[in-house]
Amino acid sequence: MTAWIKVARYHMADPIAYLVGPWAILAFAFLINLVITKAQGGPNPTKALAVVYVCFFGLGILSTGRSLPFGLALGATRRSYYTGTALLAAALAAADGLGLALLQLAERATHGWGVALHFFEVSHILAGPWYVTWLTSFVGLTLLFVYGIWYGIIYRRWHRLGLVAFIVGQVAVIRVWIVVVDRGHNWGGAGFSFTPSAMRITAMFGALAAVLLIGGFALMRRVTV
Amino acid sequence: MTPTISVSGLTRRYHSQLALDDVTLHINGPSITGLLGRNGAGKTTLMRIIAAQEFASGGSVRVLGSSPVENGAVLRRMVLVREDQTLPRLRVGHLLRAASWFYPNWSSGLAKGLVADFNVPLNRNTRGLSRGMRTALGIVIGLAARAEVTLFDEPYAGLDAVARQLFYDRMLRDFADHPRTILISTHLIDEAADLLERVLVIDRGRLVLDEAADDLRGAATTVSGTVDAVEKFAAGRAAWARRTIGSQASMVVSGVLDDDDRALARLLHVSLTPLSLQQLVAHVPGWSNSDPKENQSA
Repeated sequence: MTAWIKVARYHMADPIAYLVGPWAILAFAFLINLVITKAQGGPNPTKALAVVYVCFFGLGILSTGRSLPFGLALGATRRSYYTGTALLAAALAAADGLGLALLQLAERATHGWGVALHFFEVSHILAGPWYVTWLTSFVGLTLLFVYGIWYGIIYRRWHRLGLVAFIVGQVAVIRVWIVVVDRGHNWGGAGFSFTPSAMRITAMFGALAAVLLIGGFALMRRVTV
Repeated sequence: MTPTISVSGLTRRYHSQLALDDVTLHINGPSITGLLGRNGAGKTTLMRIIAAQEFASGGSVRVLGSSPVENGAVLRRMVLVREDQTLPRLRVGHLLRAASWFYPNWSSGLAKGLVADFNVPLNRNTRGLSRGMRTALGIVIGLAARAEVTLFDEPYAGLDAVARQLFYDRMLRDFADHPRTILISTHLIDEAADLLERVLVIDRGRLVLDEAADDLRGAATTVSGTVDAVEKFAAGRAAWARRTIGSQASMVVSGVLDDDDRALARLLHVSLTPLSLQQLVAHVPGWSNSDPKENQSA
């Protein structure tokens, strides 16, 4: 068994958090939206699917913020720990993304579960053929997981102060970027159009995920526990 | 022969604070070595660097002949059990199962026996463990891993005297069957004294003593009696930690005493009390300055 597989298995030693958790929360959100849509009696293009992405972000934080010290105590290297965790993220994102794509197919086939609920179909983002939905979901879930890993690593390296600086830094960068792009009236050039396509968003998310993955590896190399 | 643990000129600096200052030590082959020192002396930092959980500012560390940093071949032959270990939120049984995947010499039978001995609740989440249970869990992992290099950093936190004795017994028994290099840091020096083959003492980041435990037993003696008698007895001997109350004095003299010394003590009516390892370690910073004349102060 390679070190990467051992690390992935270590995370999955108790599979509830990684396998059951996101789907349990998703099922809960789905049922609430189903009841609301039925009560309203009209189309409900909800964005509640976001909960599964939030779950992946949380799992990313958990995988490093909480589990890393013991993983290193068990003799894993930082490199193998990071690689094993990232591979687990990709595998979970692929499996759960496929599940979301299949549920979207079922939603379309049943005309919104019989009540015009658009839970698994999100306009402009998850609205194409099933394989595009799978790809977008895979990239989006991986991105959120890896983003969560960053929070865990930063917490381990620089503790709470580092986390606060990281969050403040992101807000500042985004704020400056918005001001610069807005003054130049160049939202299209910045990668946004007002009718974004799923593939374009997927490509942007993919590029961001790749940057975070590579950057996370560099961050991880000097982490101490 | 390649030392199991070889530390040369190791330094660790945190901003203006020097946690480890030019530490050099070598541990060869299977043994149980005690790493002793006061709180904040640098024991945990040293162990973390040996286990590649922390980075050195200077110097080098080699374990089983290689640097342990990002070296999976070395790290899977080493285990560090820490008092302050952060545990993932798993059930204890799952945690032990995960640990078994990482260590090639893991003994499920030993783990099972230790779990029963220490009453470790397998179905409880690590969040719900008491301090003593967390410590016991660390002991189970540290011993059952049967790693060639086993590092225990204050492994007794929260354990009562009975459980501590159980730990000593189980460790010695397993060490006899499966010899390995065990480095154990502790405050309970006298309690662990009989286990130790070698003693390392760290004080303010510096290694101030590195001796075989047998050489230390009887290596210093407290001499008590009248001031004159104590002074006469201590004349010409390396001595320190002198205390005087009225006409009575006590002084610690180093060196093994022989029959002539005991006869002299009887003649002078002074009492001789060998220092325990713990007392000895308490005096080590003064002792290690080696010029006994400079240390003859209260």
